[in-house]
Amino acid sequence: MEQLLLVDMDKCTGCKQCTLACSLIKDDLFDLARGRIKVLKKEDIALGIQLLCEQCEAHPCIDACTDGALSRDETTGIITVDAEICTECGSCVEACPYHGIRLHPETNIPMICDLCGGDPYCAKHCVPGAIIWVDKTEDLVKEKKKLRSARMAKYRDLKKEAEH
Amino acid sequence: MYGHQGKILHVDLGTKKIWTEDIPEEWRKLYVGSRGINAKLLWDYCKDPEITWDDPRNIIVFAPGALTGTTAPASGRTSVTTVGCTTGLYLKSNTGGHWGAELKYAGYDHLVVHGESDKPVYIHIEDDIVEIKDAKELWGKDINETDKLLKEWYGEDSRGLYIGPAGENLVRAASIHCSLYHAAGRGGGAAVMGKKKLKAISVRGTKPVRVKDPKKFAEVAEEMRELLRADSGAQGLHEFGTAGSLAGVNELHAFPGRNWQTGYTENVFPITGQALNAGGYLKRRVACFGCTIGCHRYSTIDNGPNAGISSGGPEYETFGALGNGPGIINTEGVLLANEMCNRLGLDTITAGGVAQWAIESYERGVITKEDTNGLDLGWGKIPELLQTIEALAYRRGKLGDLLGDGLKIATKKVGKDSYKWAIMNAKGLEQSNVETRSAKAYALAFAVNPRGNDHLMTETFAEFGSSPEAIDVIEKITGDKKWASPHFTNFRAEIVRWHEDCYEISEALGFCVFTSTAAYGVNPDNMARLYTAATGIEMTEDELMLAGRRVCTIEKAFNVTRGATRAHDNLPWRLMNEGAASGPLKGATNSQEELDGMLDKYYDLHEWDRETSWPTRETLEKLDLKYIADYLDELGKLP
Repeated sequence: MEQLLLVDMDKCTGCKQCTLACSLIKDDLFDLARGRIKVLKKEDIALGIQLLCEQCEAHPCIDACTDGALSRDETTGIITVDAEICTECGSCVEACPYHGIRLHPETNIPMICDLCGGDPYCAKHCVPGAIIWVDKTEDLVKEKKKLRSARMAKYRDLKKEAEH
Repeated sequence: MYGHQGKILHVDLGTKKIWTEDIPEEWRKLYVGSRGINAKLLWDYCKDPEITWDDPRNIIVFAPGALTGTTAPASGRTSVTTVGCTTGLYLKSNTGGHWGAELKYAGYDHLVVHGESDKPVYIHIEDDIVEIKDAKELWGKDINETDKLLKEWYGEDSRGLYIGPAGENLVRAASIHCSLYHAAGRGGGAAVMGKKKLKAISVRGTKPVRVKDPKKFAEVAEEMRELLRADSGAQGLHEFGTAGSLAGVNELHAFPGRNWQTGYTENVFPITGQALNAGGYLKRRVACFGCTIGCHRYSTIDNGPNAGISSGGPEYETFGALGNGPGIINTEGVLLANEMCNRLGLDTITAGGVAQWAIESYERGVITKEDTNGLDLGWGKIPELLQTIEALAYRRGKLGDLLGDGLKIATKKVGKDSYKWAIMNAKGLEQSNVETRSAKAYALAFAVNPRGNDHLMTETFAEFGSSPEAIDVIEKITGDKKWASPHFTNFRAEIVRWHEDCYEISEALGFCVFTSTAAYGVNPDNMARLYTAATGIEMTEDELMLAGRRVCTIEKAFNVTRGATRAHDNLPWRLMNEGAASGPLKGATNSQEELDGMLDKYYDLHEWDRETSWPTRETLEKLDLKYIADYLDELGKLP
């Protein structure tokens, strides 16, 4: 059965196990800048907002890459970067509406969550259950979007606040 | 380098010199990291007993663990070590939060601050950039304002560690805060920073932490994580925070109230973790760096005249020290006092300890309105408690100055037998909120604790046998499950010494001690395997525990240089001489006789001298501490 990743801001304790786990499985070391998932932490209000690729239907990152380095698996929605073609321009980073893409600190190639090919390593590390890998149902697809909207609304609030 | 970053950063605030040194390879085996290497550094720089807490030669060392920055669950903690100002003895305090991991990512395992600045400064670290900066814009600011400014200057991803007005005013109850609501609270380390005129340390780091065998490391870390996931203690900590167990402790008649005059409180619910959830105060469950438990709270008052008041906590100890202790059985009362302490940079345990002593002294007529800034002190009075806290932080008026020096000095100033209701032992640190009269391993652990009597150098929670895992620990130590009861004095020395070693190595690696001595997912065996996987240094469980023993012995020896003897290993007068008010051990004390029996065994186990409590040359040499034996010999302090 198809599965999806539910990412709940309200259950996030801001511990960053997910980012560390991602950095370990992808790069064999611990570096918060190498996580395909980032936790935006706001210490004064004890908030953690998880940012990562949502495998979204609109996927504007693909169009933003004029070199054609990004491709998308139509079934899973997973975006793949062709490092040979990529010019490290960062257009995809800018285009992502969910702030889910960052450039690798050494190679400058975009890092995009690939759900570990169907067994997300971060979810195993999230004991509070803020990231869970569950069987896909129609209700849960809606739930995923709801949780994402809540995270993005909060993200916008914080950015607005920072500008003032 | 694997596991460690391999670097010690030194900053001298007097000469303004900044330099780094490599961690000697053998230290990684002998002292492991964090608290352990801190102990070695403090010994090397400050062993001379003429170096008092306020001497510019005193150093203060900050160190994340050997495994901080990794997926080892709850391994993000930081030890802070210095000559403490409250006791004048060895001080190790430990904090959660996210600052330590950031220091590690900046490339340093230890930050040693030397000297004293002539004007307020802060330290700014960004990887290889290390600067001593003018702190005139920060000095006088509270914790929240300080953090806000540092983040404005260095970004939302920078992490701050700082003191508030209390630390600037050299208040003994001052605490070092980091990540806003976390603190190395105990023993007055913040006053050492205040004396050095060091307001804050802002850190941002981008250097990865590497481990020798990532696959093996992930395997052992997963084992720990899954044990903790299944542990009922860890689950309770997440759901209700540290204060979730208070109702149960109250049922045991072990929840100290009114300056340890009571152990049981009717209608205790408002000052429990459950009340935060039920009253809608709890806004978020929060974790320190890399912690899978997340026991910390973020709470807000939404309604009424105090709407909008928010802070981290309150924790178990705060509901004790600022709730049950001063008789405030009121959730919002504790939230207000807690927020004020967090903002002004006060340790809630000591703040509550000195406040309770003041209330009782006033009630007894030993101090009067003349001494209390005109306050009519009493149990259960919220506004008076808040005014006492504010006076304390700013040393305002006679009351602020009296309490600002801590109970050790205040009881001497006031005299009139006021030491009899000062809940501290001969070392002089205000006790944490534990009823030792009915928990005998705690009693022994508190008595021998080198920094004074509290539960934060050794936690012997297992003696309560409140979970199958706890009972297993007691069986492992004593050979029999039946000793998992706090009322026995049998085998308490063995229980304390095992926990000392385990607690030390947990902190050396960066683990929160809740994972190894309150919940039981992390243990000496998996810690040894994880340390080896991380560093490539072969170390068995026994070798790692021995490293713990070595460090505890350095800490003890440090106090010997400052004149500590067996007489310093005691308990507060009230607990030794006045019986518990109620409960299964009603009337019980921690009598000198009972304590002496446990102490003899404890010193024997350590192979220290019974009469003086001092480590012998033979014991020190067995632990590769010949240099310490030689120095103690010079001072004439070998038995």
